[in-house]
Amino acid sequence: MSEKILELKNLTMQFGGVTALNAVDLHVNKGEICALIGPNGAGKTTVFNVITGVYQATQGDIFFNGQSILGMKRHKIAQIGLARTFQNVRLWGEMTALENVITATDVHKRSGLPGALLGLPRSRKEEKAGRERAQELLDFMGIGHRSDQLGKNLPYGDQRRLEIARAMGTEPQVLLLDEPAAGFNPAEKVELASLIKKIRDAGYTILLIEHDMSLIMGISDRVAVLDFGIKIADDLPSKVQSDPKVIEAYLGVPADAS
Amino acid sequence: MNLQVLSSQFWSLCLQGVALGFIYVLISLGYTMVYGVLRLINFANSEVFMIGTFATVVAQVGILNNQTNSQPLHGFRLVYTLLFALVFSMLVSGILGVLVELVAYRRLRALGTNRLASLISAIAVSIVLLETTRIITFSRPQTSPRLLDKWSFGEVAGANFRIDTVMVIVSGIIIFFVLDRFVTKTRLGKAIRAVSMSEENSKLMGINLNRVVSLTFFIGGLTTGAAAFFYTTVYETTQFNVGFNLGLAAFTAAVLGGIGNLRGAFYGGIFLGVLEQFASAILGSQWKSVTVFLVLVLVLLLKPNGIFGEAVQQTRT
Amino acid sequence: MINLRDKGAAIWENWSRTKRIIFVVIAITIVAFMPYAGEFGPTSFLNTPISSYQAVLVYPIALFVLMGLGLNIVVGKSGLLDLGYVAFFAIGAYTMGIMGTMTSLNTWEILPFGIFFAMLAGLLLGLPALRLRGDYLAIVTLGFGEIVRIVALNLEVTGGPNGVVGVPNPPPILGQKFELDDHAAYFWVILVMILLVIWMVRRFTVRRPGRAWEAIRQDEDVAALMGVNLLVYKLWSFTIGAAVGGAGGVIYASKTMFIAPDMFTFNTSILVLACVVFGGLGNIWGVILGASILGYLPERIRFISNARQLVFGLVLLIIMNVRPDGLLPRKKREKIKQKVVK
Repeated sequence: MSEKILELKNLTMQFGGVTALNAVDLHVNKGEICALIGPNGAGKTTVFNVITGVYQATQGDIFFNGQSILGMKRHKIAQIGLARTFQNVRLWGEMTALENVITATDVHKRSGLPGALLGLPRSRKEEKAGRERAQELLDFMGIGHRSDQLGKNLPYGDQRRLEIARAMGTEPQVLLLDEPAAGFNPAEKVELASLIKKIRDAGYTILLIEHDMSLIMGISDRVAVLDFGIKIADDLPSKVQSDPKVIEAYLGVPADAS
Repeated sequence: MNLQVLSSQFWSLCLQGVALGFIYVLISLGYTMVYGVLRLINFANSEVFMIGTFATVVAQVGILNNQTNSQPLHGFRLVYTLLFALVFSMLVSGILGVLVELVAYRRLRALGTNRLASLISAIAVSIVLLETTRIITFSRPQTSPRLLDKWSFGEVAGANFRIDTVMVIVSGIIIFFVLDRFVTKTRLGKAIRAVSMSEENSKLMGINLNRVVSLTFFIGGLTTGAAAFFYTTVYETTQFNVGFNLGLAAFTAAVLGGIGNLRGAFYGGIFLGVLEQFASAILGSQWKSVTVFLVLVLVLLLKPNGIFGEAVQQTRT
Repeated sequence: MINLRDKGAAIWENWSRTKRIIFVVIAITIVAFMPYAGEFGPTSFLNTPISSYQAVLVYPIALFVLMGLGLNIVVGKSGLLDLGYVAFFAIGAYTMGIMGTMTSLNTWEILPFGIFFAMLAGLLLGLPALRLRGDYLAIVTLGFGEIVRIVALNLEVTGGPNGVVGVPNPPPILGQKFELDDHAAYFWVILVMILLVIWMVRRFTVRRPGRAWEAIRQDEDVAALMGVNLLVYKLWSFTIGAAVGGAGGVIYASKTMFIAPDMFTFNTSILVLACVVFGGLGNIWGVILGASILGYLPERIRFISNARQLVFGLVLLIIMNVRPDGLLPRKKREKIKQKVVK
């Protein structure tokens, strides 16, 4: 029996006259890899933005572990276990890879300024633990050797990996990955796919936005499809792939038109 | 606290506030347009205003040879004197605005460096202009001759419709209207709006960015120069440091209205002028800046993007 | 262009702990003797034509460095645009002025009060202001700086335009007197404060606060999404910066014995900001260099005293356009940052 760890109920997001999301019902089960696909402009990144508190939904609600997180502040959302990556890489370029991840691990630390100033034992312990965990995550993502390089100097692929490692640094339950394979060549995509599976197997739940169908079909447990802000499908990958509505959304013509 | 003025001088304060407000509107256009296009604070605009006031005096006294204590002019001579002084100040300020951009911002924009450096650069230009004027004028105020005989159209409910007050309001409306049309209807105006919406896309559409930027500074300078002319005509005096307080107030007006928003600057300026007059009357003129500041903080707390700023819910990019 | 900072940092990293301690002690000792450099043969060129080096320069430069370090925490480290820093300096000075003349407390006893009130002001201003986007923050802080000055100008307790007279000097410490011309003594007090601030900032930088500030500076939206409580950390940055400003103000008032509103103008805020940006945002050495140059030069060219501000403006303009990242730009040293926190 899978429990819904993340659930969007009747979610509507309007910007002035534009309705980016229209009464979307979406859920993610604990421990699964759920993919969110759709043509460009369908509202996928908007979903991420609403979940993480960047936008406040016009209508509807969002539940995380059964608790409503509507209107919660961004940093609080990160604290309770939702972390994300970005469509365009947004690292802290002038920090090292290690520092990027350590900063993410800071969210659960109990010591702050006084601890730092006075050099309290707890602060020191947490500092050490955070550093070790950060290195661990970098190793896990295969970029352990980059720990002392500045974020902006990393090759593109490693930057994307670093962003994932950083998101993991907040010890999330759910990872929201926004087009993690963008710009990757086929070989890199295969590698990334197995990496994502590895992450899921380590206990994380993953909601991912992607365009590459083979990547998605290969690893996803479920696929949800958005088009013009409306969810038009939500099913097993194989079913979605042959769904005429989905095909029409992407190609603009009904499946059996000749 | 003098609350009695709320009843006895209400309309008078309103009228004076609106007149002062228009001066603020015209100066604030210099800030808001530049911010819209460059996302930078046009810090030196306060000095552009100050120089504009001196330009007005130069036009009246130096060029048209009216003595500082001469009698008011009449008829045709009055009209062309005023017009000439107005146009002269506008042009001087407009050109100065363009120069400010070239000196303070152009190079740093090309380098794409941090915005703090641009701000300091603009502040530096402001200091240079201020200090140069201070040295030239020996820190002494400069009076302007009363060329316009300040007769009144009459009083309505205590509000005195003096000719200069009316002139400021009417001209302010005209100038703003012309600018609004320019920005919405003409090709150049649309280019300015395009750049303020998206610099990247504008360049892709073939808009010459530098030209648009210079034009924006020029127009901002024109309106600021007009404000300078009105200020000098109404208050009949100016000094090297007159720019700071007015500039700060005008910038506040721009922020109140939603910085980057032209129509917002209009409402922001009028609102600020009226607010200032009432605060000055009720609390005493020494506290008017404090009042304005508190109002600013309040507005920004409730409407972080100004009264007319973009109203997207909690948008962060 | 050789990056002096990187070179220096590279050398530093290769030294053992003992070597470093010795270096620091020697350096501090040399700096402590700076008040006497005017009389010491080889360095007597530092004397300026009109004013005595010791009297006019060393202490004011130290004060600028202190203020610069304080503002650096706000602007340099956290990226918050504060154009009204002089307000905290003024609050510290007036605390000293008012309490010094109205109570029997001495400077050292008033110092914590000055710091407290400055921090309180920072908190009260920061709570609404720090939620605002960068440029709005700039104008609100600018306004605040002006407001403090106007309030000081118009209240009776602050002496109005005449200010506060007869502010007492600090009582002697260990025999060292603090009278009006004991410039060296004041210099040492400020020096101690500077060292304290440097130590404090270092401790923050290598741990969570420093990372949070840096993340906020580089991309605050991402910082929030990664769990950084923006408001709390911005407030910390702001109030600590305010505390430093307030401390400087207390000592300033105690030395000059007289304070008036026109000593705390927008120009001062800009001057301190220039020190920070000029030297190179965010790094201590840059601030020290910037403050030293901007504090020293006007005195050196005092002969054109009337045009001093004008020259200042021109120099600022040129430097900002030629070296916008400051004289000692921040350059993250890649391998160097790895000194493990013990």
